[in-house]
Amino acid sequence: MYLAGKVAMSAFRAFWNSPVGPKTTHFWGPVANWGFVVAGLVDMNKPPEMISGNMTAAMCVYSGLFMRFAWMVKPRNYLLLACHASNESVQLYQLSRWARAQGFLDKKEPEVQQ
Amino acid sequence: MAASKLQALWNHPAGPKTIHFWAPTFKWGISIANIADFSKPPEKISYPQQIVVTISGLIWSRYGLVITPKNWNLSSVNFAMAGTGICQLTRKIRQDHFFQAQEAPVEG
Repeated sequence: MYLAGKVAMSAFRAFWNSPVGPKTTHFWGPVANWGFVVAGLVDMNKPPEMISGNMTAAMCVYSGLFMRFAWMVKPRNYLLLACHASNESVQLYQLSRWARAQGFLDKKEPEVQQ
Repeated sequence: MAASKLQALWNHPAGPKTIHFWAPTFKWGISIANIADFSKPPEKISYPQQIVVTISGLIWSRYGLVITPKNWNLSSVNFAMAGTGICQLTRKIRQDHFFQAQEAPVEG
C-alpha cells in the first residue's frame, strides 16, 4: 500500500515538473484545444441546420494537419496529437451530418425503365 | 541578394518545406470560415464553438512563441482566430440579450 502510494507520488511529481507539464504552455495549449472536441460533442445533439459547413470542413483539414504538427514539433506533443485525432473524428461526423442535411449523401433513385 | 534571402526563407526550419509552416498556414482557414459566417444569422452561431475558438486562439498566440522552432505564423493566425471568435460571440450575445430587451415592450 505504502509502496503504491510512493510510486503514485513520484509519478505525479514527474508529471507536475515535466517540461511539457501543467506549469508550461505546452500543456495548456493542447488542453485548450480539447475544447474543440467538447464543443463538437455538445453540438452533436443540435439540429444539423445549425452546423456551419465552412467551419466544420476547415476543422477537418486543420486537425489532420495538426496531428502531423504535434508529432513533429519539439518537444513532441502526444496530448496535442490525441486531441486532434479526437477532433478529426468529431468534426468528420459533424460534416457527415451537415452533408446529409444538405442532401449531398442521398442515394440517386434508379431510373425506372418501362 | 534577394535570391539568398528567399533561399534562407525556403530552407528555414519553420519554412514551406515543413509541417511547421503548412499547419498554421492552413489554420487561417478557420478564421476565413468564421469571417464567411459573419453574414449568417446569429441564431446559427454555436456558443461552445466560438468560446473555444476565442480562448484557444489566445492561449496559442503565446504557445507559438515558446515552442522550438519559434513560430510567428502560428501566433499570428491564432491571434486573428481569437479576434473572429470575439466578433461572432459579440454578434450572438447582442442578438440574444439586447434584442429581447427591444422586443419586450411590444408585448406589453
